[in-house]
Amino acid sequence: MRAPLFLAAALALSACGGLDQRGIVMPLEEGWAAEVVATERDGFGSPDGLLWEGGMLYVADEGGHAVRAWQPGKKPATLADAKAGLASPEDLVRDGQGNLYFSDDTRGGVWRIDPSGRTSALASPDKGLPSTEGIGLTPGGDILVGDGKNHRVMRVTQAGEVSVLLGPERGIGKPESFAFDDRGNLYIADNHDDVLYVLTPDGTLHRAIEKREGFSPESLRFAGGQLLITDSHHGKLFRYTPEDGLSVVALLAGELANVQGIAADDKGNLYLSVQSDLHHNKGFILRLYRKPARP
Amino acid sequence: MDGIWLLLVRMSDAIFGALNSLTGRSWLFDTIVAMPIDNNLVKAGPIGACFVYAWWSGRDAEQTRKRRASLLVTIGSLLFVMGATKTLSHEFFLPRPFVQSQATWHLDETRLVEGKKLHYRAPVSGTTHARYEAMKRGDIEQNDLVSFPSDHAGFFVALSLGIFFASRRAGAVALAWTFVAILLSRIATGMHSPLDIAAGATIGAAIMTVIQLAARRGGRWALEPIAAWTTRHEALAAALLFFVAVEWTSVLTNVRELASTASEILSALSGRM
Repeated sequence: MRAPLFLAAALALSACGGLDQRGIVMPLEEGWAAEVVATERDGFGSPDGLLWEGGMLYVADEGGHAVRAWQPGKKPATLADAKAGLASPEDLVRDGQGNLYFSDDTRGGVWRIDPSGRTSALASPDKGLPSTEGIGLTPGGDILVGDGKNHRVMRVTQAGEVSVLLGPERGIGKPESFAFDDRGNLYIADNHDDVLYVLTPDGTLHRAIEKREGFSPESLRFAGGQLLITDSHHGKLFRYTPEDGLSVVALLAGELANVQGIAADDKGNLYLSVQSDLHHNKGFILRLYRKPARP
Repeated sequence: MDGIWLLLVRMSDAIFGALNSLTGRSWLFDTIVAMPIDNNLVKAGPIGACFVYAWWSGRDAEQTRKRRASLLVTIGSLLFVMGATKTLSHEFFLPRPFVQSQATWHLDETRLVEGKKLHYRAPVSGTTHARYEAMKRGDIEQNDLVSFPSDHAGFFVALSLGIFFASRRAGAVALAWTFVAILLSRIATGMHSPLDIAAGATIGAAIMTVIQLAARRGGRWALEPIAAWTTRHEALAAALLFFVAVEWTSVLTNVRELASTASEILSALSGRM
């Protein structure tokens, strides 16, 4: 009796060599395909915030302590790194003049890389910004930044003046990401309390989504008139409109579950950053694209 | 190695296709097939009954002691079986067949490779139907993504085989119930592939056999006095047996939850000190 059992066990264990899949992407909307466009082998560490502007993908490389710019198919260029004092770049935004602003959740502050490539503090951490999370650009050119430690949303002018836009009394746990729609509504992701807030232009704060099982918003991005939301806690990419509500675009699991940033290019392709292992500097940048229709 | 794997996958897919083709046609059939998945009494009740039968059905005091010694080893071995299947399922990333019926891209080293869509007929009722519909809405349970090896196959094959070591008659009934009701239903409904089941069953059978044989050779000195104690304190032994058997219905889920809570309490206490 023992011999067949050991043979079966040996066969089963040898077969396990074929089980080398470590993660999956499952699009739930028809027509999407997925590919890895970059990993740590391409010069990224463990990426967080993403931004697509002018044919370039800007990456807040949290694991690599750097902000990088990358054109698909080329090597990434490092715009700023630990030598400039970066610790954990979290999220980024770019203005019409080509200035790139980013937050840093370990070091705090709001940082700017100007078009000449010089990195400086627009607002230093000692101005009440000990740990900065999501970052956004108002239509007027001010920078909004989330302060996760003090549960506030701060406004930083181009002169570096810091003021409180939404204080802790408004109930936001951790302002992780921001996105403006074309009507001037500001969407705020709170991945501490798992709430999607909307701040209307008249200053009213609504809870658009709350207490939803399997929903914890991480990063927000408007594309094609719809809000795209990543969820690192549940490995999901959502689509949201006030009219149609929330739906799942894709599931990510295994090593790909910790999906962080999102960007959309001019063709409607979506870029997602995944932190597989932040401490060991492992991560992926994925692209979701529409599969060409079969003739 | 890849050749063996591909052959096993092909065989597994063929068996899965044949069994799964029976579901999704009749509410009555699907409901009956889903019963061992949805209903703990149907799933584990007959196995528990076989265990109790084996516990009490010795011809004489000597055989009863021997059977009980073997059944006590069975109870202990189940912890090792669950540990092995749970540990392996965290190492290997293979979703349930109903998940593999969707378009998926698998991470292979640093590439995403489009997976082969498994042809799948969803049952029209039962837990698997509900989980399949939830998955299509984007709600997926973590353990739907790691189905290899099947812990149910490991657990119930090991338990039934343990009963078989004590009593051939009761063990044969338990093994038959495990195979027909518990394992085939999981394949037919798409909860597990034949490969998941075969791997789990092999692990369960191997661990149970090795421990039983080792216990027979070197563990009599410890087991026989315990077995004798159960015959001297029948009421207390029966009460403890009931306590253990109840837990089998959940495949030790409650024990694992208790262990996790105990670990949290210990961590909290050590943190305060």
